[in-house]
Amino acid sequence: MAAAAALPGVVPHAAAQSIPDEGSFSIRYLDYRDWQPGADRMRVRSPSFFVMKPFGGSWVAEGSLVYDGMSGASPRFYNTLSGSSGEGVKDYRTAGDAKLTRYFDRYAIGVGLAGSTERDYLSKAASLDLRWWTEDRNTTLAFSFAGTSDRINSNNEVAVNEKKHTLDYLFGITQAINANAIVQSNLTYSRGHGYYDDPYKLLDDRPDHRRIVAWLTRWNQAFPAQDAALRVAFRVLHDSFGTTSYMTEAQWVQGLPQGFTVTPGLRYYTQSAADFYKDPPLPNGFVPGEPYATDTRLAAFGAFTPSIRIAKTFADGWSADLRVDFYRQKSEWRLGGDGSPDILPFSARWIQGGVSKSF
Amino acid sequence: MRLHRFTFPAMASTHELVLGAVDESHARRAADVAIADVARIEAKYSRYRDTSIVSAINRAAGGAPVAIDAETAALMRYADACHAASRGRFDITSGVLRRAWDFKRAPPRVPAASEVDALRALIDWASVAWDERTIRLPRAGMEIDLGGIGKEYAADRVAIIAIDAGIAHGYVNLAGDVRAWGGRPDGAPWRVGIRHPRVDDASIGGVEIADGAVATSGDYERFIVVDGVRYCHILDATTGWPVTHWQSMSVAAPLCVVAGSGATVGMLLGADAPAWLDSQGAEWIGVDAEGNLRGSP
Repeated sequence: MAAAAALPGVVPHAAAQSIPDEGSFSIRYLDYRDWQPGADRMRVRSPSFFVMKPFGGSWVAEGSLVYDGMSGASPRFYNTLSGSSGEGVKDYRTAGDAKLTRYFDRYAIGVGLAGSTERDYLSKAASLDLRWWTEDRNTTLAFSFAGTSDRINSNNEVAVNEKKHTLDYLFGITQAINANAIVQSNLTYSRGHGYYDDPYKLLDDRPDHRRIVAWLTRWNQAFPAQDAALRVAFRVLHDSFGTTSYMTEAQWVQGLPQGFTVTPGLRYYTQSAADFYKDPPLPNGFVPGEPYATDTRLAAFGAFTPSIRIAKTFADGWSADLRVDFYRQKSEWRLGGDGSPDILPFSARWIQGGVSKSF
Repeated sequence: MRLHRFTFPAMASTHELVLGAVDESHARRAADVAIADVARIEAKYSRYRDTSIVSAINRAAGGAPVAIDAETAALMRYADACHAASRGRFDITSGVLRRAWDFKRAPPRVPAASEVDALRALIDWASVAWDERTIRLPRAGMEIDLGGIGKEYAADRVAIIAIDAGIAHGYVNLAGDVRAWGGRPDGAPWRVGIRHPRVDDASIGGVEIADGAVATSGDYERFIVVDGVRYCHILDATTGWPVTHWQSMSVAAPLCVVAGSGATVGMLLGADAPAWLDSQGAEWIGVDAEGNLRGSP
């Protein structure tokens, strides 16, 4: 367990069984861009800040703040707004969360609050999570529960004071197999009702309830002789909208001299189309009174995401990292073929970097 | 061809410039020149900058004439036309009223009639001596303030610069004043929404423009509420008091300066605005004090 825990990032704080000795803070910056052939680019620049501090011997407080500055073709009905406001054009999202965890000898309880606000969407959430572990600390059970309340006011006034409420449940087990291997399996269930339509699409009518079940399993295998580790993950998800998806991912974490680590990774994702998804063009297949959407995100496709991350630890608890992910989605890449026809390939890239310090 | 969006700060606000270009570096070069010109106009005409020509003119009030260039003279000419069109209610010497109306003060306060009247003695565009080369404010304490024209002028300049740089499709939104050209690259017009004067981040409707401008003047940009009554920052130069007839007024016109002054004059003319705007052949949308939508036929 100790060896596995020593690998960076193997045991996320959420599964830790004892209070961290030190606090840490980190600053990150994300630059995201996406594009489709012939279509506009969306760009998000997002600085974020995270802090975690143990105190009082058995408490941990953590919080984060994210600011997403978005520009580019956001799917608004109007290209821009004319107004007398000296505020200019705002297109940003601010999100924050705070969590307090109390540790006991064999279990921990955490309570969290989160919120995010942007031009047309306000979201508030509260969560509770419980962790319990065995005497030998090789097995941890986790249960968490969160409630989210959203309010949607689209800029084109199609959605006025619409609401959405979601309850999320998670049940998970983390098991150390031996000194070099650890596996985690989580079952999640999300149940929501309210407004799911995309108000910026000309014809979009989605059910007013949604249930999602997902099962994610992760396996981390350390290779101490090579100063490396292999991480694999697999997830299957089913959505009451009709989508079933599979995701598999592998990363190789390789330690290098001078405190460097390089982590190449590859992720494959495939999904089936939602029941009410209809291929373009509008209004193909539209039946009044029945759900309908032509949103590409609900189509059938497959996607690959290669990634690479480089990190370095410095003296005095400082570390820095840089990560690049490149995403490409095509209907031909759907597992087993039969992807939605006439969908343009969609690509995106993330560049993120961060610095952190323990204190 | 893709759309490239640039946001930039100026005039105490953030603005948006969208340019259609095949490659980003072309758009970026055009944007740099256009944004630099907005900064130039702000530096030249802002009353908050000591080095601006406006500050120089204001400091010399009651003293010697100040030399002005062709660009400044053109703006004075335009201000003069707005003064006439609004029957004196639009007056670029009315900036002195901010000494009585402080919209940032907490708690908010309505000035006494005597304070406002004292300042009205300094509001007198008709008495300003100006020509193509010089300008003189006749009484000490007088000021000119290009707040109602400068931003719209800058928007038109951005369009000219971008078109000269070979950008055939684009628009600029300077804190709510929009100037667009070429329509969207796919052939559709630009869709410009109009902010709802009372509901945050909502719109009351919009206009489609391929080439032209939309400007909005409203009572919600800066205002105080005292005893349940709203006092906005659009002050009638003939009375010294805020206008109350419209919550917001939007005008579409070929140039942003025309749209901008049309919207401001519309606010200032109150109940007379529809007749005046219709007589100008202007396309307009207004929200009256009760929240009703009115517009050009």
